[in-house]
Amino acid sequence: MGESPFSDWMNQWQALSRQYLGALQETAQAGAGTVPPAAPSPWQGGFEQWSRLAGAGAGQGETIDRLIDSAKSYAAFMQSMLGAAPAQAGAAPWADLLKSGFAGSVAGGNPFAAASAMPSWQGAQQGLAPWMNALSAMRAPPKFDTSELKAWMDLPAFGLLREHQEHYQKTALAWVDYQEQNGKYNALMLKAAKRGFELFEGKLTERELPGRQIESLRALYDLWVDAAEEGYSEIALSAEFREVYGALVNAQMRLRSQIQKEVERVATDLGMPTRSEINSIGERLQALRREVRERRATADDGLADEVAALRAEFAAFKAGTRATRPAPAATTPKPKPKVVPRDAAALVVAPKPAHARREKPATRKKTARAKPPERAVAAVAAGNFASRIAKFANASLGSTRAGSRRAGKDEQRGNRKKKR
Amino acid sequence: MGPIKIEPAKALDEALTTQRKLATALKTLREMDEVDFGVTEKEAVYREDKLVVYRFRGEHPPTAKVPILIVYALVNRPYMVDLQDDRSLVKNLLAKGEDVYLIDWGYPDGADRWLTLDDYINGYIARSVDAVARRAGVKKINLLGICQGGAFSLCFSAMHPDKVKNLITMVTPVDFRTPDNMLSNWVQSMDVDLFVDTLGNVPADLMNLCYLMLKPVRLNQQKYIGLVDILDDKVEMENFLRMEKWIFDSPDQAGEAFRQFLKDFYQGNKLINGGLKIGPHEVHLGNITMPVLNVYAEQDHLVPPAASRVLGEHVGTDDYTPIAFRGGHIGIYVSGRAQREVPAAIHDWLAQRSR
Repeated sequence: MGESPFSDWMNQWQALSRQYLGALQETAQAGAGTVPPAAPSPWQGGFEQWSRLAGAGAGQGETIDRLIDSAKSYAAFMQSMLGAAPAQAGAAPWADLLKSGFAGSVAGGNPFAAASAMPSWQGAQQGLAPWMNALSAMRAPPKFDTSELKAWMDLPAFGLLREHQEHYQKTALAWVDYQEQNGKYNALMLKAAKRGFELFEGKLTERELPGRQIESLRALYDLWVDAAEEGYSEIALSAEFREVYGALVNAQMRLRSQIQKEVERVATDLGMPTRSEINSIGERLQALRREVRERRATADDGLADEVAALRAEFAAFKAGTRATRPAPAATTPKPKPKVVPRDAAALVVAPKPAHARREKPATRKKTARAKPPERAVAAVAAGNFASRIAKFANASLGSTRAGSRRAGKDEQRGNRKKKR
Repeated sequence: MGPIKIEPAKALDEALTTQRKLATALKTLREMDEVDFGVTEKEAVYREDKLVVYRFRGEHPPTAKVPILIVYALVNRPYMVDLQDDRSLVKNLLAKGEDVYLIDWGYPDGADRWLTLDDYINGYIARSVDAVARRAGVKKINLLGICQGGAFSLCFSAMHPDKVKNLITMVTPVDFRTPDNMLSNWVQSMDVDLFVDTLGNVPADLMNLCYLMLKPVRLNQQKYIGLVDILDDKVEMENFLRMEKWIFDSPDQAGEAFRQFLKDFYQGNKLINGGLKIGPHEVHLGNITMPVLNVYAEQDHLVPPAASRVLGEHVGTDDYTPIAFRGGHIGIYVSGRAQREVPAAIHDWLAQRSR
């Protein structure tokens, strides 16, 4: 009986594997002067060797770890595929092979098992780890009926420490609930993985046609990734996943919340500030900042409105004054007022008439500049309307006393009108 | 005939090549410097709390009269728009004569836990817009919102149309409940109040984990296996590590703003369904009457194209231009094609509207 094609392939493969190990040892020796110890699998062993060498160096440790982890998964994939490659003819045996490969290399044969929906307690919430470990000790066996435990935890509490007891009962219930939701989530992840394998089989079937066959391990791996992602996507977009995921997140938050309360109680006993206290301060501070901004904005808006109104009335007043004022004698020219700027703020800093400027020009100019324009208007604008108009007129027209007198008269006139 | 035709010698060669590349990687990685990012010179022109508004400086003074203010998402760092010399949206816009500003939100901490969307949009963004407009001596500026920042820019433009001359949105979700939106599916049954009340600020690690879980095998494993191919190429490794840094260099999310964003945008889909209130203002996309350019990515796994495309149906303007980019959510900033196509499209569109 002659040797089958399978035997040929295996012979070649074993010979090449020996070469591979030899080459690996040479590469390693050249790189670090060490010889890799014998590994259970030449494929994965090679990656572990590099992982150890990388660990000996400084820096980039996480990058290497991540790289090595992925490479090891890839190696497991390669090995499971190649280990029985020649014996497989159709697509279905290849998909089964992949499943069994994962069964041996990842938890529960689930390639998504390593990726959790929520960060682990020990990883992301280091501070809570002791609490979670304590609760983990309460973990029920897989077939354990939690309804009895829940019933016990639901019993009313009595006496001095009833509040504490109730809190602990609630925490235990939250833990049981979290475990249940986590189980449902993991079951869905496994379902996604199974769907991925089904899709992989389908994709392999498409590659049975001549000219479409897969000729490299990387191409095979990429095909499996496509299938795994498609399977996962189907599940992750489903209504069932939406409910299970939501329930898991909510359960974890309820549990975290219970543990946080316990931490706060301990912190209070030790005289330490708590998260709740800091939150209260932060909330009040933010409310206060909003109020300050709001008031400032309202004040600015009000001031702008007031300035606009004053500007309009001042223009009307000026027009009226011009109409009633007698024409000045040609021999006594009055100083021509400067052009009135449109900007109300500029009104305040408009130059005084010559006689006024002589008093303390430098100081006045400095004072007017130092004040914010809008606030300066507010300061000048004290008093009733007529007197404020008069002050603006004084500032721009330069007739301080006459203006005041006119304003006074206008005011009296206005009062008289009111009396009538 | 079976589906697989792998020659033993070829398989061995693949394995050996992988091992050799790993060996080189140790040397390459040890020789690499700390990756840098943000290549374009910039100056801070406005600061408030942790927020900084930067103005970028090009090789030549800008020719555009109206500046562009980039409003980036809260969930990642904004240096993605100026990642490296040959991958920079900012640099390419400057080269075309645009005057580019950017809001850097900083990293929120416990003190920012109570910042609401009103604080962000009617506060920080509004004051940043005012600061940029004042500096440029104009009444209205161009707003360029990216991803979540695009949603914020839509809200801002709807509430303050008098301050925005042209609005550009990039990979911006508008309809938050399209059937292909995985993130949206996941948050629909979440008790958001319980979530935020428990976590306070939402940790960046948690956000990143959610993004990785959108494509768990591809992003947790395949990406790093692909890395083996470039392990002996220092430049490519630098590019990879720079991107890796950006992906995981994420700020925590201010709790209250996150609460409202999830409840009103993701769960309520109020941006298009109506009823969205930011502070004292109601947001009606119909109030967006300025020209709008909407750039979305056809292979976007975070913001599906369908989520962006609907914008045209809801804005009040007659001048609406959608552009579909062939690429993903990140590729729209960093791919070679993006460098050629996106800045040019934005510049040309703006130029047509400044005549």
